[in-house]
Amino acid sequence: MAENQKPRVGVFICHCGTNIAGSLSIEEVMDYARTLPGVVVADQYQYMCSTPGQNKIIDAIKEHDLNGIVVAACSPRLHEPTFRTATSEGGLNKFRFEMANIRDQNSWVHMHDWDGATEKAKDQVRIAVAKARLLEDLQPKSVAVEHAAMVVGAGVGGMQAALDLANAGIKTYLVEKLPTIGGRMSQLDKTFPTLDCSQCILTPKMVDAGRHPLIELKTYTEVENVEGYIGNFEITLRKMARGTYDGPEMIAAGREGSGCNGCGDCAEVCPVIKPNPFEMGMAPRKAIYIYHPQVMPLQYTIDFESCVKCGLCKEICGPEKNAINLDMVDQLEKVKVGCVILATGYDLIPIEDKTEWGYKKYENVITGLEFERLICASGPTGGHMIRPSDGATPMKVGFVLCAGSRDNTGGVAKPYCSRFCCMYSLKHAHQLMEKIPGCQPYIFYMDIRSFGKMYEEFYYRIQNEGCKFIRGRVASVQEDPVTKNVYVMTEDTLLGRPVTIECDLVVLAAAIQPKPDAERIRQMFGISKSQDGWYLEAHPKLNPCGTTTAGIFLAGVCQGPKDIPDTVAQAEGAASAASIPIHQGEVQLEPYFAQCVEDLCAGCGMCVPQCPYKALALIEKDGKKVMEVTEAKCKGCGTCGGFCPGGAIRMQHFTSPQICAQIDAFLLGGRGGEE
Amino acid sequence: MAVEKNYGNSELENKLRDRYYYTSDSSKDFSDEVRKISGTISHMCYQCGTCTGSCPSAPRSSYRIRVFMRRAVLGLEDEALMDPDLWLCTTCYSCTDRCPRDIAPTDVIMAMRNLAFRKDIGPRNFLKTVQLIYSSGHGVPNNDVNRAAREKLGLPRDPPTTHSYPEFMPGIRKIIDHYGLKEQADKLLSEE
Ligand SMILES: Cc1cc2nc3c(=O)[nH]c(=O)nc-3n(C[C@H](O)[C@H](O)[C@H](O)COP(=O)(O)OP(=O)(O)OC[C@H]3O[C@@H](n4cnc5c(N)ncnc54)[C@H](O)[C@@H]3O)c2cc1C
Ligand code: SF4
Ligand code: SF4
Ligand code: SF4
Ligand code: SF4
Repeated sequence: MAENQKPRVGVFICHCGTNIAGSLSIEEVMDYARTLPGVVVADQYQYMCSTPGQNKIIDAIKEHDLNGIVVAACSPRLHEPTFRTATSEGGLNKFRFEMANIRDQNSWVHMHDWDGATEKAKDQVRIAVAKARLLEDLQPKSVAVEHAAMVVGAGVGGMQAALDLANAGIKTYLVEKLPTIGGRMSQLDKTFPTLDCSQCILTPKMVDAGRHPLIELKTYTEVENVEGYIGNFEITLRKMARGTYDGPEMIAAGREGSGCNGCGDCAEVCPVIKPNPFEMGMAPRKAIYIYHPQVMPLQYTIDFESCVKCGLCKEICGPEKNAINLDMVDQLEKVKVGCVILATGYDLIPIEDKTEWGYKKYENVITGLEFERLICASGPTGGHMIRPSDGATPMKVGFVLCAGSRDNTGGVAKPYCSRFCCMYSLKHAHQLMEKIPGCQPYIFYMDIRSFGKMYEEFYYRIQNEGCKFIRGRVASVQEDPVTKNVYVMTEDTLLGRPVTIECDLVVLAAAIQPKPDAERIRQMFGISKSQDGWYLEAHPKLNPCGTTTAGIFLAGVCQGPKDIPDTVAQAEGAASAASIPIHQGEVQLEPYFAQCVEDLCAGCGMCVPQCPYKALALIEKDGKKVMEVTEAKCKGCGTCGGFCPGGAIRMQHFTSPQICAQIDAFLLGGRGGEE
Repeated sequence: MAVEKNYGNSELENKLRDRYYYTSDSSKDFSDEVRKISGTISHMCYQCGTCTGSCPSAPRSSYRIRVFMRRAVLGLEDEALMDPDLWLCTTCYSCTDRCPRDIAPTDVIMAMRNLAFRKDIGPRNFLKTVQLIYSSGHGVPNNDVNRAAREKLGLPRDPPTTHSYPEFMPGIRKIIDHYGLKEQADKLLSEE
């Protein structure tokens, strides 16, 4: 409050329909507000957020020459922007607004205590008024936004987000840890419920992402460090040593030769054989390898952990291409972007830890992902579905649904539903019946969750094709050591009878979990996670693509289990949200910065290391050492303000006098805080 | 409540018995009591069937642990306590090991047995076992066939239990008497 101005506060109390008015006395709170020092007008309305409600604020500001507004209603998260707008439309600086949350923090929790809730609302209003009397004009700071974005993780979600951003004219770095983009979807054979070939619909996107002039692929690359804030993220990338150069890299490295053209001569001669993780370890690869023929970029990679440095590959590659460098080391690179989209996807849980189902103990128990590779024409068996123990064609196959999902026993088990395993198990059952005449699939389930568009119809179709559904969660799987057949035991809960079915093969629909390094990524980008470990969206309904950190957005399974249609939809949402600040070119930061009161600052510098965001520095000014705040970096956390021994740091909008007035108002019943 | 039918043919009547679930059959108190005594979240069963699928008793009898869990959820007191299957659990704890909701169905059965016994329900073999423990300290006391077998195996004729140390019997009886178990078993058996 400017010193020469007398406080003139208006208080507005919202009914929120019956949300508030049903649990406390609006009249009493309003009458009480009128008695508070500095309050010149108090009013109430059914919905303060509605146009007539807002007009009440606007009109009162003019009529009563107000300089502070208090609205007692819901949460600032919901409607602070609304009321700030009304405040400024009335002609006041929008920061001369204070909110008392008498709904979420009062009427909703004290629904059955009318008198108590009314008293508490009076306290809340009194506290808000105490602050409103001391509010001051503040100017939001705007910072320029870098016209570039980064997407971390190049599965179908990350690729879609990158393509959308690039098509909207934004330079986009698509960072992928593996040597190729594509993610899990490139491991799938067909996709439910339409059964189109996964690679066929994915490779065009991979090619588009690879060729787009505004997308810079950063494969075999990890995020090393993140600094900055919305509009100005400075991200350090670690380009892992992949042992080969492509054309442009040759030029950059000043090497003679054309670089890797993907001919694969090197892999022919490489003597080291390792399991290919893309094929779930069911097919070999060399120490110099590509995952599969459609990789993007088509460039070989050396796994230096298994490479014996015999040099055979380098020799055969020859001086013309000269693509191989066996002594390559990791390189760090810094890029600047305005916004970031995280799309890091998922893994299966280590389902072998649920020992009752025998994964990794019995050869003929596999996971859904292994099934995808075994049934895929480009997979290790050329699409001939076989069982691992003897290569025989399985004629009876059991599908164990909810394997580790919807399970509250802890350990590797997950309490949530993994959301796509019902549907892909239906798909697998269909594929078996289609490829192997006479093959009988059994689906052991608790509920079939076929919630998407055309999903229930797909369920109908698979049942009609002859799949048997047994409603019972599988209690255990046991192997006949001679035939290697596997016995699936459960109760048919609909018959109320225990049942054991001898199968040739068992497929576990294993639960999914975040990637092992999701936690590291999360901390670097300063976002939250939900209790199940997935990245936390800003709001589950109203802001599902954003995070609570400005400028960071989410796409795909990294935010929670979802299938391809939902992943792509969220990716497009995230790209659209991320493009807004980039296209606007500048963002406004809330002016809750720390400020150095230079007269009081002793220049001791003790605050500098306290700031978690590296926003503080000591500088020379008029021959005196003082602290300086880089406002764009300051998040207004208040650490330094509370710390400074000389009280030289002032937190805007949360000044010591404002906070003391609020405490006094609460503890002294309104007698404090008066000047 | 179930509707009475009378066809004058007990077999037919049983077949045509009204099996409608009337919400008035449910007792919330029973649900709560089972939850309290069992110390497990018996109201959280989602009927997956893992327990029955794990149960060694299920394939050999009409006993379905899952059905008792349903009765616990719904509070179907009479149906649970009067069902002779209640006594077919071997307390092997296989179901407790595997229940994905982390419930201990075994303890639910124990709780129901407790409640049944309070209502003077208890099968003969259980009551006899009480008497045997009271008299010998063993549910299955040693006998001459066993003794001969033990001798053949080079073991002492009696195991190192109350059979060899009868001086501990008074202690065991004191525990049983404290709960009035023996008295109750005697009474129920004499009423037969
Ligand atoms: C057996 C099986 C069958 C399925 N079948 C279907 C189906 O038929 N239809 C359907 O709609 N859905 C299906 N799904 C679901 C589908 O796989 C997912 O919906 C989809 O892959 C999610 O895409 P995403 O981009 O979010 O994640 P992912 O595909 O997992 O991609 C994430 C990418 O990020 C990369 N990454 C991770 N961490 C980092 C990091 N720190 N730095 C850089 N890069 C990183 C990963 O390497 C990966 O390339 C199936 C799933 C399974 C398991
Ligand atoms: S999608 Fe189906 S199989 Fe997967 S966890 Fe959910 S209910 Fe279980
Ligand atoms: S308020 Fe927090 S973020 Fe801002 S300068 Fe101080 S310590 Fe750093
Ligand atoms: S295993 Fe647990 S959740 Fe499943 S039916 Fe049995 S008691 Fe209920
Ligand atoms: S504890 Fe009882 S109900 Fe549970 S599996 Fe064993 S015998 Fe069956």
